[in-house]
Amino acid sequence: MNNIALGRYLPLDSVIHRMDPRAKIGAMLLLMIAIFIPAGYTGYMVIGVAVVLAALLAKLKFSFLWRSMKPMLFMLVFLLIINILIVKEGFVILQIGSFAVYSEAIMQTLYIVIRLMLMIMITTILTATTKPLDLTLGIEDLLKPFQVIHVPSHEIAMIISLALRFIPTLIEETQRIMKAQASRGVDMEEGSLKEKVMGILSLIVPLFVSAFQRADELANAMEARGYIPNKKRTRYKQLKMAGKDYILLLISVCILAFMISIQLDILPFTVDWI
Amino acid sequence: MPIAFKDVSHIYNADSPFSYVALDHIDLEIAEGSITAIIGETGSGKSTLVQHLNALLLPTQGELQVLDQCIDSKQKPKNLKQLRKNVGLVFQFPEYQLFEETIIKDVCFGPKNFGVQEEEAIQRAKEILKVCGLDDSYLEKSPFDLSGGQKRRVAIAGILAMDPSVLVLDEPTAGLDPQGAKEMMELFVQMNRVYHKTVLIVTHDMEHVLSYCDQVVVIRDGHMERACGVKEFFSDIRLLRELRINPPAVIQLRERLRSEGFAIDPSIIDIKQLAEAVASEVKHHE
Ligand SMILES: Nc1ncnc2c1ncn2[C@@H]1O[C@H](COP(=O)(O)OP(=O)(O)O)[C@@H](O)[C@H]1O
Ligand SMILES: [Mg+2]
Repeated sequence: MNNIALGRYLPLDSVIHRMDPRAKIGAMLLLMIAIFIPAGYTGYMVIGVAVVLAALLAKLKFSFLWRSMKPMLFMLVFLLIINILIVKEGFVILQIGSFAVYSEAIMQTLYIVIRLMLMIMITTILTATTKPLDLTLGIEDLLKPFQVIHVPSHEIAMIISLALRFIPTLIEETQRIMKAQASRGVDMEEGSLKEKVMGILSLIVPLFVSAFQRADELANAMEARGYIPNKKRTRYKQLKMAGKDYILLLISVCILAFMISIQLDILPFTVDWI
Repeated sequence: MPIAFKDVSHIYNADSPFSYVALDHIDLEIAEGSITAIIGETGSGKSTLVQHLNALLLPTQGELQVLDQCIDSKQKPKNLKQLRKNVGLVFQFPEYQLFEETIIKDVCFGPKNFGVQEEEAIQRAKEILKVCGLDDSYLEKSPFDLSGGQKRRVAIAGILAMDPSVLVLDEPTAGLDPQGAKEMMELFVQMNRVYHKTVLIVTHDMEHVLSYCDQVVVIRDGHMERACGVKEFFSDIRLLRELRINPPAVIQLRERLRSEGFAIDPSIIDIKQLAEAVASEVKHHE
């Protein structure tokens, strides 16, 4: 549980770490949109190069990025099996008795895998280089313009930062209760289905009870310190965009524009090699 | 020896930058039928130590013998379930592990997991709840409607109902009122005297150690500082000072008298004996 790489902040010192969280979030959103444009492998190559460069600049180890993708492995296998069973296009690459595996099944899986990998890498770079608190400040500022249509930007940011704050607490709590119930004979590995269901129940119920209790106490503590939602609040930390932040956004916009132009086929040159 | 630690070390997150040595070469034996207090500052490794007793944690190095089973780093004991049944471990703030709709169901949960039949489990649960001071009117109530102290009793009853031969309690009286804490300690003494269970209690309360326990184990920064009888422990005033332990009132009085020039045997830990010693000392000087 302590080896989770996904979403973990790595306190290093790099250009990317020092960038404005708003710029990083903006760039992430632009690249996410770019990934969803079906622009073929050329497009993904461009994004891939950009992502790898960003990871290098952020001084992240590739083993770290790799670990953040591990949870996806299970999904990948699942996807591959489904595709092999369903997709019957392209040429046969493997024949087992009367069952054939087609090339398209592999290609389509690969296509989705590349997209997922890119998305996970981008989010991992964002969360690894930005303190959770800065991230929420960035989100709050980015949501500010939507206040005109009554989006409670500050409250949303507060909710996110509270949620982030309590993730480690909840993980710890879960481990504690799991151990306590294991002492009462809960065995999640062996045992019948009914026993397993009871085991899960014996974990979930106390977890919810204590989470609600914590929420209650936290609300009281916040009120006791004069927190009033909707009220205007000042902020100690001010975010400032600098040259490098604009460059990051510019690059992201360029990548998105490139993807769109491939898709619409309005490039002066052809990239149709696959 | 029902329990023996042989050179046990435990390292959290071994082989990672976050590795932390929580137990450092612990050698320890606990005699059958004793009540042992495990003391030490917060973060010294007491909870880590007791979680080895039913193999919730495995030693990183060394091995321990619990009842007839051996626990080492490589494998969980073959008969894990049997071990968990025989070593009842009550966590700190056990009231957070209640989950059933009714108290009786919650107390039956443990025994049923260990293969006890429904009727027998209910029978046992009723008896144990009575011993823990909750009469039959509570059986069908929701555990979430109880007070904090009562919830804790239910949680402890849930472990006692498993009928373990070793009972391990991690700070069972933390956060209870003095009267509630006293009743709880008396319950554990009863478990020891009447039901012949070996009891291990992690505690910070020296009065409890003095009044209810036979043996003391001192853990300090993951090392075992001392394991001895209660009398010996409270006689060693230098150790108490070094550990920055606030001694029980009797011991404080004894030391005060001794520093005032009374020739009193430093192994006296009982108020009656202390009074007699003072009386004879006074008579002697008259
Ligand atoms: N799951 C864990 N992962 C990493 N470190 C831990 C874990 N549990 C406890 N520790 C550390 O081990 C040390 C001993 O903890 P613990 O056994 O709970 O102490 P005690 O019960 O004496 O207060 C503490 O410094 C604590 O931070
Ligand atoms: Mg503890």
